[in-house]
Amino acid sequence: MGLKTSNLTFDERVKKAKQDKFMQAAVGKAQDAQFEKRTRAREELGNWNGWRDLGEQIRQHVIKYLPDYLEEFSANIEKNGGHVYFAKTDVDATNYIKQVAKEKQVKKVVKSKSMVTTEIDLDKELLKLPGLSLMETDLAEFILQEDNWDEPTHIVFPTLHKNRDQVREVFQKIGYTGDNDPEHMGRFARKYLRQYFMEADLGITGCNFAIADNGMINLVTNEGNADLTMALPKTQIVVMGMERIVPSLKEAEVLDNLLCRSAVGQKLTSYCTFSAGKLADELDGPEDFHVVILDNGRSNALNTAFEPILQCIRCGACLNVCPVYRQIGGQGYGSIYPGPMGKVLSPVLDGGYENFGELPYACSLCGACSETCPVKIPLHELILEHRKVEMNKLHLDHSLNNVIFKTISVGTKTPILFKGALLGEHLALKPFSNKKENSVENLYPEGKVDKVPKIAPSLIHGWVDVRDLAEPPKVKENFRHWYDRHQKEKRGEING
Amino acid sequence: MHLQMKVCIFSTCIVDLLFPNVGKAMVEVLERFGCETVFPKGQVCCGQPTYNSGYSKETIKTFYNEIDALLSVEADYIVGPSGSCVAMLKEYKDILKDDPAYAQKAQILYDKTYEFTQFIYRVLGILDCGAQLDATATFHRSCHMTRLLKERTAPFVLLDHVKDLKMIPLNNVQLCCGFGGTFSAKEPEISEAMVDDKVNNIVATKAQVLIGADQACLMNIGGRMNRRGEKIKVMHIAEVLNHNVDLKRVKYVKDTDHQMVPANGSGVF
Amino acid sequence: MAEVLKANDPKNREDFLDAIAKKANRPRHELKNDPLKLLNDLPETTLADKTPAELLDLAKKNSELIHVDFKTVKADQLAANLTKFIEEKEIKSLMLPSFAADKWADFEILDWKDELELEHLYFWDEANGRDNLINADKSDAAIGFADYLLAESGTITAATVKEQGRGFHFLPTHYLAIVPQSKILPRMRQAIDRYDEALKQDKLKTSNINFISGPSNSGDIEMVLIVGVHGPLDMTYVVIEDR
Repeated sequence: MGLKTSNLTFDERVKKAKQDKFMQAAVGKAQDAQFEKRTRAREELGNWNGWRDLGEQIRQHVIKYLPDYLEEFSANIEKNGGHVYFAKTDVDATNYIKQVAKEKQVKKVVKSKSMVTTEIDLDKELLKLPGLSLMETDLAEFILQEDNWDEPTHIVFPTLHKNRDQVREVFQKIGYTGDNDPEHMGRFARKYLRQYFMEADLGITGCNFAIADNGMINLVTNEGNADLTMALPKTQIVVMGMERIVPSLKEAEVLDNLLCRSAVGQKLTSYCTFSAGKLADELDGPEDFHVVILDNGRSNALNTAFEPILQCIRCGACLNVCPVYRQIGGQGYGSIYPGPMGKVLSPVLDGGYENFGELPYACSLCGACSETCPVKIPLHELILEHRKVEMNKLHLDHSLNNVIFKTISVGTKTPILFKGALLGEHLALKPFSNKKENSVENLYPEGKVDKVPKIAPSLIHGWVDVRDLAEPPKVKENFRHWYDRHQKEKRGEING
Repeated sequence: MHLQMKVCIFSTCIVDLLFPNVGKAMVEVLERFGCETVFPKGQVCCGQPTYNSGYSKETIKTFYNEIDALLSVEADYIVGPSGSCVAMLKEYKDILKDDPAYAQKAQILYDKTYEFTQFIYRVLGILDCGAQLDATATFHRSCHMTRLLKERTAPFVLLDHVKDLKMIPLNNVQLCCGFGGTFSAKEPEISEAMVDDKVNNIVATKAQVLIGADQACLMNIGGRMNRRGEKIKVMHIAEVLNHNVDLKRVKYVKDTDHQMVPANGSGVF
Repeated sequence: MAEVLKANDPKNREDFLDAIAKKANRPRHELKNDPLKLLNDLPETTLADKTPAELLDLAKKNSELIHVDFKTVKADQLAANLTKFIEEKEIKSLMLPSFAADKWADFEILDWKDELELEHLYFWDEANGRDNLINADKSDAAIGFADYLLAESGTITAATVKEQGRGFHFLPTHYLAIVPQSKILPRMRQAIDRYDEALKQDKLKTSNINFISGPSNSGDIEMVLIVGVHGPLDMTYVVIEDR
C-alpha cells in the first residue's frame, strides 16, 4: 500500500467520508468507548503525568543518542546469532526481505500486524515472488487482505470502518457459512489461519520496542498471532522503524505500560513478549532471525522542529481523541498514518508537502491530541509548525487565502487600519444582513448574515455557507465606543 | 480604604467588533468588585487568526502592536473574556523569547494576563458574584482555555453559585466545537460536521441557555444553531455573572469553607 | 536484484548510523557521558507497599477482570483440582512440560502426572524437536508452570526453556498455569528486574519471555470483545497458597 493510500484529493476524500454514516457512527462509538476505558486505566495507575514524564524522557533520550543505541542493539543481535540489515529506504528493506525469502525458498509467509510493513508495501512486493503466498494473521488485517487489500483506517483498529455484515461478506468468499456474530467469525478465522500457521516457513513481525542491551524485540498484542509468528516458522524477519529503540528491559516496561493503557485502556495487553532468535537447546522459535532497521524518511525529522514525532509509540490515543478523525475517519487522510500523529508524520516521511500538504490545515488546533499523548509529543504545535513551514519557507498556498491573510495581518497590526476595518466590516456586511427571525436569542441583536454573493472570498463562504454570522453593530455601538462613553459617564458621576 | 486594583481590559477583536454586550458585562462585573478598568485603544487583535494559519512571520508585528498597546497603560492585571485569546497572549513569551526588544515585555504580559473567570475566582477570590438567572443551562468548555491555559474548573465553580441557575452536564464536553479560527472557514465540511455533533449534544440537554467563556466558540455554535433553527439563548459567562446581581449575595472564598478547586481539576484525560 | 545485500555488514551499519548522526547534527558515541537516569521511581514504587495477602487479592481481582478463572489451593489439593480441570473441559489430549521430577514433586503432583490417563498425553520434550509444535496444536489443553504472577495486571510470566517452549503457551485450546503464591509480584517492573538480572548474570538463558494476561482476544470486529482468537480460548490460574 505504501504511505500514500489514495489518489483522490483531500476535499474528495472528506466528501466521501462525510457520506459514510456507518463509519462516522463507528468511529464516534469507538472514541467514546476508548475514552472511558483509557481514562479509567490511567486513573487506576495513578500519577499519570509522572508516568508521562518518564515516557517523554525515555523517548527523547533514545532519539538523542539514536546511533549509539542502534549500534549497541545491532551488536547484540549479531552476538545472539541474528542478522541485522540497515535499510535507508523502503526499497532497500523490501529488497533485503525478498532476498531472504528467495534464499530460504519460502513458500508460505505469516505476518503479524505491523504499520511499518504497510508503510513499505511489503506484502505486494513479496507476492511478486513466484510460488510465494502470504497471510496477514491479525484479525483486522486478515479481513482487509481478504477484502482485496482494503485500506486500514486506524493504526490500532484497522477495520474500524467495517460492520459485522461487511466482515461476514468477506469471510463468505473464503468459505464461511455462519452468522454475523463477531465471536463466530473470530473462531472461523482462528481455524482458517491456524492451518496456515502450521505450514508457514517465514514469519514477519513489526516491533514495538527493540531492547538495545540484549538484542530482544518487544511485541505487545492481544490475539496471539504475533507469538505464533515468532514460534512456528523457521525464519523470522522483524521490520522496525529505526526510532523504536529503548536502552533496556526496564524502559520497555515503562513504555509498555503507557502504550497498553493509551492504546486500548488495558493495563497490559494479553501478550507482551520479549523475543529473539531461538537458542540452540530450545525446541521452537526461529532458527534464522533477521532484523531490518528502517529509516525511510524518519531522519528528515532529526534536528528540526519535528524531531518529537519520533517519540511516537503508535498507541493511537491521539486518533481516539481527535474531533477531526471522528468526522472523516482514517481514509480521509490518504496516509496509512492518519489522525494527529499522521498529520505530523506523513509530510516528514514523505520529505515534503506534495502529497500531504493539506493535512496540517485539517485541524482545529484543539490540543486534545497533545493532552492525551503518553509520551508528551506536542502534536498540535507540530501541526501548526507544518503550517508555518508551508507558509514561510515554501509559500505554498493554492487560493486567494494568501492575499486575505496578508491583508488581515496588515489590518491586525495597525490600529488605525483596524479602526477603518471596524467601520468597513459594518458597511461591507450591511447589505447582506437581514432581520429574519432568529431561533438563537442574544446573539443577533443587529440581525444576521446568512448569505453572501458567489464572488465573496472562499473564507467568508466557508463560514456563511454553514453558519449565520452576527451583523456587526454600528460603529458607535461597538465595544470600544461604549467603553469611551462609559468612562466619560463614570468620570461625570465622580466629578458631579 | 484599600488600594484599588487596576485592570487593563483586553477586549479581543471578536468582542470589540461584534459583541459589545460581552465586553460591557465583563467591565461591569470587574468594576462592581472594585477594579478600576482601563482600555488601551491601540489594541487590535492577539494575532491568532494569522499565526495559527501559518503566517508566523507576518504576525510578529501584530504581536508587537498588542504588547505595546496592552503595556501602554499601567495596570496590575490584564483581563480578557476568552481563554483562547488569553492563551495566545501568554504564548508570546515563548515565541518572542529570542527577540531582544520584546522578550522581556512578553514575559511581563505573561505574568499579568488572566482569563476573566480565572481572574474572578483565583485572583479576586470571589465565589458568588451575586448573580441570578432562572434557567436551565449547559456549558461549552472551550479547548484552548482547558488545554493551553489549563483552566478547566473556574467557570463551573462560578456558575454553580449563580442563584436559580440549573446546570446540565454536556455529553462529550471534551470535544472541540469545530471553530478553530480560520479552520472553520477553510475546512467548512469538517467544521460543519464537528459543530453539528456539538449542537446535537447541546440540544440533547434540553437546556434553555448555552453558556461559554469564549465568544468565538459561541459564535460558531450559536451560528450553526440559528441556521438549524434550534431554539436556545447564548450567553457569555460574563453576561451570566452580570445578570440580576444582588450585592447581598456576593461571597468571597475566604469567607466560606469552600476549598479552592485546582485549575486542572481531577481526571487525566 | 543484481547486488547481494549483506546483513551484519560494517559498511551497511556505519553508513546508516553516520548518516543519522549527520542529519541530527550530533556526534556519535556521546551516550557514555549522559546515561539515562529516570526522573522518578514510579515503576518501582507503584503498589510496592502491598502485603502478600493484598497482592493475592489484587491478583485475583485483576485476573478475573480479564476473564481468567482464578483459583487458590493448597499444594495437597492441586492434583484434585487439575483432574477437575481436565474433566470439566472434557480434555482428551493434554500437553505438559518436561520438567524434572523434583519440580512436580515440589507441587505434590508427581504421582498425579505419572498416573494420568488420557487419549493423548504429550510432553514438550527434547526428543520431539519441532514436532512439539504439532503436538501442541493437537492438544486440547496445556498445563504449565508460570515464573511469576503480577498483581496489578493479572499477568503470568514464563521464560522459554527447553522443557516448556514458546508454542506451548499459544497453540492448545485451553490453558492452565500453576504459580506459587510466593511468586506474586506487584507489577511488571519487579518481574522485569528479576529477568534482567538473571539474563545479565547468565543464570537464565532464554530467547523469549512471555507476559500473558488472560486469554487471547480481539476487538477488531465492531470493537466487540471476542475472547479467544489465535491463542487459548480460556485461561485458568491456580495459585498454590503454601508455596
